[in-house]
Amino acid sequence: MERQTTTGRVVRVMLLTLVGLFFLFPIFWVLLMSFQTNQDILRIPPSIFFEPTLGNYKALISGRLESTAGVLEIRFMNNLMNSVILAVSSVALSLLLGIPAAYAFARFKFRLGEDIAFTLLSFRFAPPLLVLLPLAIYFQQMGLIDTYIGLIWVYQLITLPLILWIVRGYFEDISEDIEHAYRLDGNGWFKTFLHIAIPLAKPGIAAATLLSFIFAWNNFVFALILASADKQPVTVGALAFVTASGIQYGQIAASIVLSVTPTLLLALYAQRYLVEGLSLGAVKG
Amino acid sequence: MATLTLDSVSKVYKAARGKPVLAVDAVDMAVADGEIIGLLGSSGCGKTSTLRMIAGFEDVTSGHIEVGGRMIDNLLPAERNIAMAFEGYALYPPLRVRDNIGFALLRDRQPRAEVKRQVEEIAELLEIVPALDRYPPTISAGQQQRTSLARALIRKADVFLLDEPMSQLEPQLRAVLRARIKDWLITRKMTTVFVTHDQTEAIALADRIAVMEEGVLQQFASPDELKERPANLFVASFIGEPPMNLFEARVDRSRSGLGLAVLDAGGRPAFELRFPAEIAGLADGARVHLGMRPHRLRLGDRAGAVQGIVTSHSWLGDQTHVGVEIGGTECIIVAEGEVPARLGAQIAVEVPLRAVHLFDAEDGRALFHGAEAAS
Amino acid sequence: MSYLVLDKLKKRFKNEIVLDGASLDVERGETVVVFGPSGCGKTVLLRLIAGINEPDSGTVHIAGQEVTYLAPEHRDVGMAFQNFALYPHLSAFDNIASPLSARGVGRAEIERRVHEVAGLLKIDHVLHHLPKALSNGQKQRTSLGRALAGNPGVLLLDDPLRNVDAKLRYEMRLELPRVLKAFETTVIYVTQDYKEAMALGDRVAVLMGGGFRQVDRPAAIYKDPDGTDVARLFGDPTVNLVPGEIREGAVTALGARFPLAGRLADGACQVAIRPESITVTLDAASPGGAMPIDLGIGETTHAVPVELDAVTPLNVRAVMLLRTVDGRELLATCSEDEASRLPRGHGQGQAHIRAADLLLFDPGGRRLRPGERQ
Repeated sequence: MERQTTTGRVVRVMLLTLVGLFFLFPIFWVLLMSFQTNQDILRIPPSIFFEPTLGNYKALISGRLESTAGVLEIRFMNNLMNSVILAVSSVALSLLLGIPAAYAFARFKFRLGEDIAFTLLSFRFAPPLLVLLPLAIYFQQMGLIDTYIGLIWVYQLITLPLILWIVRGYFEDISEDIEHAYRLDGNGWFKTFLHIAIPLAKPGIAAATLLSFIFAWNNFVFALILASADKQPVTVGALAFVTASGIQYGQIAASIVLSVTPTLLLALYAQRYLVEGLSLGAVKG
Repeated sequence: MATLTLDSVSKVYKAARGKPVLAVDAVDMAVADGEIIGLLGSSGCGKTSTLRMIAGFEDVTSGHIEVGGRMIDNLLPAERNIAMAFEGYALYPPLRVRDNIGFALLRDRQPRAEVKRQVEEIAELLEIVPALDRYPPTISAGQQQRTSLARALIRKADVFLLDEPMSQLEPQLRAVLRARIKDWLITRKMTTVFVTHDQTEAIALADRIAVMEEGVLQQFASPDELKERPANLFVASFIGEPPMNLFEARVDRSRSGLGLAVLDAGGRPAFELRFPAEIAGLADGARVHLGMRPHRLRLGDRAGAVQGIVTSHSWLGDQTHVGVEIGGTECIIVAEGEVPARLGAQIAVEVPLRAVHLFDAEDGRALFHGAEAAS
Repeated sequence: MSYLVLDKLKKRFKNEIVLDGASLDVERGETVVVFGPSGCGKTVLLRLIAGINEPDSGTVHIAGQEVTYLAPEHRDVGMAFQNFALYPHLSAFDNIASPLSARGVGRAEIERRVHEVAGLLKIDHVLHHLPKALSNGQKQRTSLGRALAGNPGVLLLDDPLRNVDAKLRYEMRLELPRVLKAFETTVIYVTQDYKEAMALGDRVAVLMGGGFRQVDRPAAIYKDPDGTDVARLFGDPTVNLVPGEIREGAVTALGARFPLAGRLADGACQVAIRPESITVTLDAASPGGAMPIDLGIGETTHAVPVELDAVTPLNVRAVMLLRTVDGRELLATCSEDEASRLPRGHGQGQAHIRAADLLLFDPGGRRLRPGERQ
């Protein structure tokens, strides 16, 4: 029944506004903080009226943080670069390994197939800290600690299961008959995979890529333990603002804004695919 | 078991974006007590919206609906005393088929023994006796549909609404079940409105059929009337399988009687028809659509027959369908029984005046029906 | 050896035996319709021929060569699917061109062949559209075009008209034989619709219970079925089945005695009567009055008193539901013009049945042919 009273509509709008405020306010506040000096931020009571300053951003980009305790070297831009390298390479590697694997799990029934797929997913169940200590020791011995390769390898724990499971769902949703038709046209299975399966699973691959990129970008704990300052991503790098003379809230806010920006832009750009992908995946097509 | 009147009923759907959609446009319909009505049309023609307004699941945007002389526009569905069978069956999964069918009777506190007797009677009619003690999810789609039908037909209601009631029936059962259901409705004088997209089903069951297209009621008449006197080109092309043969033609009154110059797809003259009857009202040279029902045409070489070439031939046991190319146009002829015809052979097609329907070239409105002139 | 030979094909999925020794020989250029109730294994059979699935045992030969375990791309087979299975990211042109480009045919030749096929199927004007922009009928024709374009030795059509509306289905039913003849290819056509089977097949192969029950020309199967199960698959409405008793050269059914044309052993039997071979006359006292009917001269007809319960017109003929004195239901058909004279409610009358129109079966459903030794 599509009957709706005016009061019902008003209540609905109010509830939606409330939810929106609840989620958006912290982001808005952080954005404001990034243009404030530490004095403004720590003022009580807080005010949304202040003298805006670009000092925080300047400090981040130049890498020199001048505070009451003296000049502090920070390598924010370096960290940002690390984040990009780590996230992009991890996702790329995962796509390379995960898409063919997802196809295999979706199309070919083989012994232990389900178990292997589940084991891969189960990597996501354990708290990362549980594996970190032994991993750190192994990496030390293998010389992988504080290397990009080592970190990218560990990041596979985050990105690979995600890509495997999302993309597998999309492959399963492609009508098998479409692939059979292509085989009957005279093409082998690999050509069918390249020319039919991958193009048709594109929305799913885009969604999985974006999600795993965000997860990789936001990772904190692996990089904290397994990398030193010059390999650290922004998430860990932000710790540097907790200095002996106090916490640099302004710079932290600015660094949050800068580090969120790439993922946000990527998400906005891919939103179309993401929504289409997440909803289409459920429907047989 | 009451009359049903739709008085200029309209339905407008407000779209989230874009223009509001006029789904049902001022439909008038007076259904007599005990009459069986089919609402026929393709998807999106407004037939289901009309049914849902009668049931009370949709508001009427404007107009009124009366049952037995009582206005029901503002009543809740439960207050309307209307029984309905849903297209998606809407069976109660935790109840056995038996209890699904008897649900309304049990709710009205009828004696259990009496309910059992009635449930078993209708179950036998619809061939679901073996499924009575099973649960809906465990039976086939066809059985579910018959259960949903039984649940509606067992009730005592003023009006019965059936939404696509027989779309899932097994082919071997369809003919006999249709007949039994029709018998059940007629003997119990049940006022029934059913929705279907299948014109065969509408013709089989209905006393009168309301043909709808784009929210507009195109024609509301008996099956015979729809076949012999379709109100417009749309109705003519929608009713009948195989559908009516349709051509462009030009009226020729240069000589006595009615002449028709039939044109091919490119507008060139394909063949000519001439009838001796004197018919008023058709101007010489007027462009018309010519419709000829396939089984009013005959294979045979009497006077006035046109010559053609056999392009297809299929015998279906009790009838034969022959495709004939006449001067670059294609024409289907249905004959009863088995008719020999070889592909590529010459064949003569007789066109009796009774087979001929003419429609306006501009708006498709019917201009002339052969059945009227012939009788 | 025939062009396509299926020999004792067996296939089971989990614990369900789908095909249990299905054998069929198809000649070059012939169209054989595989027809049967849903779930009888028709689609599985096609998949074994196409190489999408492999049989548990048995062999498939195409053009004298065994292909039982050959990959689909190496068989000379084209297939049109029930759900069309078009490539959604490719235009109609590229869909149809696919089997040609896979074989490395040159661009100009592809252009020519695609347009030829599209012209025959009347879809030249939509070749640049993506499948989602095509109507159902155009999708169906595109999928058929793709199957035909490679000019395969064997063409498999898996209920291709299932998902198009009644009107298009009818058009294609008339048009397909001509299209298929133009390619002179060997066709296996799967359907659940007896009208398609009768209209399209040079021969009809009735698949039931894991094997072929009867393979013959449509007319032969319709008029001379091997079993009640085969007889019931054909006709709308389907054949009437009533119990009967054979005694001394005659069969007693519906209270009438019909002489037999040949010899049959005495005993119980089943009698099948096609609805179109029952002629109904109404008593003068009934509403609608007596129906004048020409019963033919010199025919032995037998009148069975019946009550007319309901009339449901079909497209060309109308179906009458009759009830005999002992409560048995019979379906009969008559022409539309006769039906318009019948009453809306009940009526009393006679059902006239010719002895020659009866088909006899033993109680187990096997055909009894008079004159045959038991």
